[in-house]
Amino acid sequence: MTALTSHLKLLEAESIHIFREAAAQFRTPVLLYSIGKDSTVLLHLARKAFWPAKPPFPLLHVDTTWKFHDMIAFRDRTAKELGLDLIVHTNHDGLARGINPFDHPPSVYTDIMKTQALRQALDAGGFDAAFGGARRDEEASRAKERVFSFRAAGHSWDPRLQRPEMWQLLNGRLGKGETVRIFPLSNWTEADVWRYITLEKLDVVPLYFAAERPVVVRDGQIIMVDDERMRLQPGEKPQMRRVRFRTLGCYPLTAAIESEASDLDSIVTETLEARVSERAGRLIDHDQAGAMEMKKREGYF
Amino acid sequence: MTLAALEETETVAAAASPDAKSEAMLRLLTCGSVDDGKSTLIGRLLWDAAGVTDDQRAAILHASHNRAVNGERIDFSLLLDGLVAEREQGITIDIAWRYFETERRRFVIIDSPGHEQYTRNMATGASHADVAILLVDARHGVKRQTRRHAAICNLVGIKKVVLAVNKMDQIDWSEARYRAIEADFQALAESFDFTEITTIPVAALTGANVVARSAEMPWYEGPTLLDHLESVDPKAEAEDEPFRMPVQLVLRASNDFRGYAGTVTSGAIRVGDRVVDARSGLGATLRRIATMDGDQPSAKKGDAVTLVLDTDLDISRGAVLSEVKRRPVNADVIEARLVWLSEAPFDPEAGYLLRTATDLTPVTSMSVSALVDFETLASAQAHACSVNDIADCRILLGRSTALDLFRDLPLTGNFVLVSAIDGATVAGGVISWVQTGAAAVGDNVLVLDRARLAGLCADLGDSPADLAEFERRAQEVAILLRSAGVPVLIETDQ
Repeated sequence: MTALTSHLKLLEAESIHIFREAAAQFRTPVLLYSIGKDSTVLLHLARKAFWPAKPPFPLLHVDTTWKFHDMIAFRDRTAKELGLDLIVHTNHDGLARGINPFDHPPSVYTDIMKTQALRQALDAGGFDAAFGGARRDEEASRAKERVFSFRAAGHSWDPRLQRPEMWQLLNGRLGKGETVRIFPLSNWTEADVWRYITLEKLDVVPLYFAAERPVVVRDGQIIMVDDERMRLQPGEKPQMRRVRFRTLGCYPLTAAIESEASDLDSIVTETLEARVSERAGRLIDHDQAGAMEMKKREGYF
Repeated sequence: MTLAALEETETVAAAASPDAKSEAMLRLLTCGSVDDGKSTLIGRLLWDAAGVTDDQRAAILHASHNRAVNGERIDFSLLLDGLVAEREQGITIDIAWRYFETERRRFVIIDSPGHEQYTRNMATGASHADVAILLVDARHGVKRQTRRHAAICNLVGIKKVVLAVNKMDQIDWSEARYRAIEADFQALAESFDFTEITTIPVAALTGANVVARSAEMPWYEGPTLLDHLESVDPKAEAEDEPFRMPVQLVLRASNDFRGYAGTVTSGAIRVGDRVVDARSGLGATLRRIATMDGDQPSAKKGDAVTLVLDTDLDISRGAVLSEVKRRPVNADVIEARLVWLSEAPFDPEAGYLLRTATDLTPVTSMSVSALVDFETLASAQAHACSVNDIADCRILLGRSTALDLFRDLPLTGNFVLVSAIDGATVAGGVISWVQTGAAAVGDNVLVLDRARLAGLCADLGDSPADLAEFERRAQEVAILLRSAGVPVLIETDQ
């Protein structure tokens, strides 16, 4: 027996219900696994939904090659331990063209290495449905999204034409060329995710916990020097600071926060008291007005 | 607060301490006509109740300055209108979900659009809410769109409504005007099944009576909006509801595991209880409630579980497992009230499918009998319906499926209507009447009840054990008859 609060139990049951509806209604679903805390909860819920059977779909990780090294190690260990089928996809065309987070603006880099890469991987696998760990409390355009989020051919999202979604009834019938993104964590908040990880004793990437790490400060953001590819600007010298991450992405584009929170209890406390929203550390969100919506319209998560 | 303290609080809440945080989340809808100030009211509520982070505050202040909307004031609607088109046009197109916690309660606010053309989105939001805040502009009072939204709230099952009379600052805080609007709404609400209507005079722009009490309206002695929302009881759970679990999936694993996965939509069940599949009338005993956290002794409404039975009922997705005594009706004719959501009007010739809890049933024929008039809220005879209408209709299904009445069991009594052509959700509805009908009426079906099986069951009385035995024998007979091609229904109406 777990010791979940009734609030978390309700969220858990709702997410399991969504997973099962999707598995019953779609031909070839896939779970987008991005290694972070939300993906950790997502995967755990998927396992619960189909236990004692294994989740009837593979995991897909879109690897830009710029993820933190700790993330990749955690990803491979998780897939192996759980005996799950893991697909890793990189946009090799983008790689060959030398697309990287230093020479290209975040919008261009994200579009090619994440959005286009995701579209390539979904098309290659013939997936008609993809689970993602997005939550409505993350960002203003995500706050508008359905649980079953339909995408026209080419994966584009039209926020003006979302399908009505009434009560617990999830209508997954697809029109011609349509695919769907599914968000079982829609109603979870950042604090819910951490409370759940704590109570369920889930393992997460160590980068979420405070530790001495080599960082530089750029435009007021703390960036970790994760490997030798990090390009230092004149006068910049990595220094050791006690930091952690609230959200994980590509290391040159993901800012750390100074923190002493080195265990789950203190992370929950810090989250509840936070005065700044979670994605403030995601540089790709702030490149232009409505950045997330633009990316989503193009097929990003 | 540390996690330990948090768990402490929640334990205390369970012990009914009035000051502790209520465990259940309140799902709150805001609706009403366009320009009555919904997004502003919610923005104000979040702003004043500290549901806004520093970077969001800075962004809103910056954007408000750029737009110079509402004079010098902060444009609170920017907190919710997250789409580029919404910000450009200054309107709400789709619902926004906002989560926040106060000292006393967790909330999710579902902010819905007021424009008639986006009613489908409002209906989506309403169907997820426990409580609705219906806004009216104090200068204009109740409008046609206000009545439409109230009718949709009523249709989807909302019982508790807050009438927020907004922009009181624009009418010099007039009590007389406020009382007139309140009376208007009370009168029209007689058409509905709301159990609680709370009226509050507010001014979202100044914040009067939203979180802080207003000094300008000493005549108002009721709670502020936040006070009320923190104390309202989200849902009076009906007691003693019959057990239902619509089957989502059949899970199979290592050689002999076979379980029915689903979410309990009403009532509760314990290991050892008898369950039946309403469609076939076949029954079994619950052997295990299996979860990844170990077997459970019981499951109740809201639990997502996997049920393992002692005999194989040969059922699949779409079946509804229920308790023996109070079963759903295995129906193929329904009468329902629905809200039409599609831009394409109802077309008797078009193909539709009925999506109920977990079943998808072809519609053989469908007809509209009446439409709600949003001026009078009365039903008027009609045969057509189109987008944003509320209509009464009759639907004949291609085969029977297990259904309840919405007023008894909402989660097995609601449905959406799906276009067979492009999969779109064209309407959402609630079942008001069912019949085991067209195909199964009359002489074709053999009903196995106590009278018919009197000889076979002469040794049985009315004890629970005997009733279960009657059921078992009836099922054996039914299996034999069905295998010989005779359509059979089992009736155990005791």
